[in-house]
Amino acid sequence: MKLTLSSKTILIIDDYPVMRKSMKDMLYGLGAQYIFEAENGLAALAAMKKQKFDFILCDYNLGDGKNGQQVLEEVRYKKLISHHSVFIIVSAHQSAIDVLCTIENKPDEYLAKPFNAQQLLRRLEKSFIRKHHFSAIEKAIDNNNFASAIYLCDNAINANNKSTYSTLLKLRAELAIITGDYEKAGIIYNATLAKRDLNWARLGLGIIAYHQDDFKQATQLFQELIEQNPMLMECYDWLTKSYEALDKTLDAENTLNRAVNISPQSLIRQKKLANLAEKTGHIDLAETTYKAITDLGKFSMHQSPSDFSGLAKIYSKKNKNQEALQTIDSMRQQFINNQESELRAATIETMVYQDIGEKKLSELAFQKVNALKNTLKNKTPKDLQLDIAKAYYLNDDNKTADQIIASLIKNHIEDNSFINDIRQMQNDIGQNNYSEVLIQQTKQQLIDINNQGVTLFQQGQLKEAFLLFEQAIEKMPNNKTILLNMAKITIHDLKLSGITEANLLLANRYINRAKQAGVAKEKLGNLQLEFEKLINTPPPLV
Amino acid sequence: MSNSENKSSEFPTVLASSIHDIKNSLATVRELIIQIAAKQQSSKNHDFMQLEFEANRMNNSLIQLLELYKIDSDKFNLEIDEYSTCEILQEVTAQQTPLLQLNNITLSIDCPEDDYCYCDYDHICNALGSILNNAQRYTHTKIHLSAYQENDYFVFSMEDDGNGYPENLLSINNMDTLSVNQISGSTGLGLHFVATIAALHTSKALKGFIKIDNDSTLGGARFRLFLP
Repeated sequence: MKLTLSSKTILIIDDYPVMRKSMKDMLYGLGAQYIFEAENGLAALAAMKKQKFDFILCDYNLGDGKNGQQVLEEVRYKKLISHHSVFIIVSAHQSAIDVLCTIENKPDEYLAKPFNAQQLLRRLEKSFIRKHHFSAIEKAIDNNNFASAIYLCDNAINANNKSTYSTLLKLRAELAIITGDYEKAGIIYNATLAKRDLNWARLGLGIIAYHQDDFKQATQLFQELIEQNPMLMECYDWLTKSYEALDKTLDAENTLNRAVNISPQSLIRQKKLANLAEKTGHIDLAETTYKAITDLGKFSMHQSPSDFSGLAKIYSKKNKNQEALQTIDSMRQQFINNQESELRAATIETMVYQDIGEKKLSELAFQKVNALKNTLKNKTPKDLQLDIAKAYYLNDDNKTADQIIASLIKNHIEDNSFINDIRQMQNDIGQNNYSEVLIQQTKQQLIDINNQGVTLFQQGQLKEAFLLFEQAIEKMPNNKTILLNMAKITIHDLKLSGITEANLLLANRYINRAKQAGVAKEKLGNLQLEFEKLINTPPPLV
Repeated sequence: MSNSENKSSEFPTVLASSIHDIKNSLATVRELIIQIAAKQQSSKNHDFMQLEFEANRMNNSLIQLLELYKIDSDKFNLEIDEYSTCEILQEVTAQQTPLLQLNNITLSIDCPEDDYCYCDYDHICNALGSILNNAQRYTHTKIHLSAYQENDYFVFSMEDDGNGYPENLLSINNMDTLSVNQISGSTGLGLHFVATIAALHTSKALKGFIKIDNDSTLGGARFRLFLP
């Protein structure tokens, strides 16, 4: 396996012409012939839309506009690079590199400046060889073909190439977790730990405990790991999730706050922290966090109107109404012709103007809410729907408000934290009775339907179980438990009655709907695996 | 900053952020050197290479200081995994290639193809790189790198044909506890840094360490890094 640079396309992204020139000279010196340049994130994205590059060398600091990490996020999200492409982030700051990593968006390599031609070549070679071993597996995972990913991974492990062995094992354990095979994952982690105390294996054991609902054990494992490795960012995220599962919101907030202090660049983590601070009522923390989010997000594809409306709501809570209105203005400037942004703006204006006694303006804003409220259809974010309901209550249209609340409860009955948000809102405006009764009713209904369905299923009455859940779905179209059960039934039916085009489509449809409704990857993984095994004859030898 | 913290504990933080600043300026200086050299079509010019070399040395020292600060203030992690010892030596050599050429030093590597050790790749490469950087200042013509297993340890060894370590460094018996007072000059800082990184590599009861002597097969200084 040898890398020949002369046939490879390389994109250099750096805002500093001097650096681009020196990097280009280095690469020409190493035999490269097809070198392209971009001076900022936008130019880079445009170039990558036009053609696929083999290597992308992207500086972290790109002046005004997107930084290197934000370019990477967008490139991955929009699939602008193939599985063979290598994305390298270059940075002059080792410390920035240390804390940049987020779980989802690690580049293939980091390269610390200064470096010489030999170092650059080694980095390119290493990542090229790694891609050679892993791109097929990564592609299969990306396409949710877990059976072939596992197959390819096992084959590669058996090939016994020592240089990739440890990375492959790690990947194999992750695949086991995605497909719900916690036993296999546990075996890999424990065997690794028997040889050496390695962080990734310890983290893995914690993740298994988390997925098996042993949150106490998970919390303990993550805590120990962080104590010895205060820079292990991924572990903070898992510890936060574990605390949340235990309803320890304060601990979750503290954990994430520590992580954000170490690594403030992760927008997703900051958003999560703002959310927790709202729940704990730490309004000052929520304010500073939301401010950081609106700043950080400026050039990120992860920025959303909710970042601004979140900040505006905090201001309004603190009676800083002018700041709230200014934040709404900034949102309008940032998101032009964006229906969600308009709807959020109008909703908050309704409330803020009412608060400061501007009746006319509040009415005008409310009319806008009324006109816009269905434009996003079923894509209206749940927190926005809750705000809209509040606006209706405040304008004494309890009937419309109740309708919205009822639909929210039905679709999110399993989301305890959001159900609490509904309770909180109703409490704020003195309407808690209505939702509480509905919450309890819906919970019971869901339990009844599930019990009934599972009994029918166990008795082999697949058709009846299917019909029962189908009816339930009409009432609660996005309920995760029901959708997951539907997926299970349709796949079981595939097994029993053989493959026809009709039942294949049905199974596929419910797996996808469950995914869209937000059923966790780990809960769907083993179903997908089963599904694949049913429709695929064993994958060909490679 | 809380009130209970006294003034003296703030100083390292101030120092660290200053180092950061200097490092940034240095990066700009380096880029300009490269640019000017390119403009003058004289990138092979000895003066420019010397300039680049000195800038790199400063940069390395600053990095070491920052790392030591992080270790001290609990902002430091090792990312241990299994790596090929050969690959580590090749990476270290790549780091220093231009300089080795500049000084006409012959470098040889000896390591078994299929040896793997547990370590933090980046930190060990940087640490060994700084030792190699020093070695080429004091050697005459040759440096020999090797990696091998010895009992429960993986050993990285660096030997040269220079005049050897001075008596004051050799007299320090325990490198691992090399005190700050004993650090003088960049050799001392470099050794202290590597010893610190080595000691963070542990496995069960074993701990990494370094040894220096003048028992080089080439007749000069010998440095060895032991990792469990």
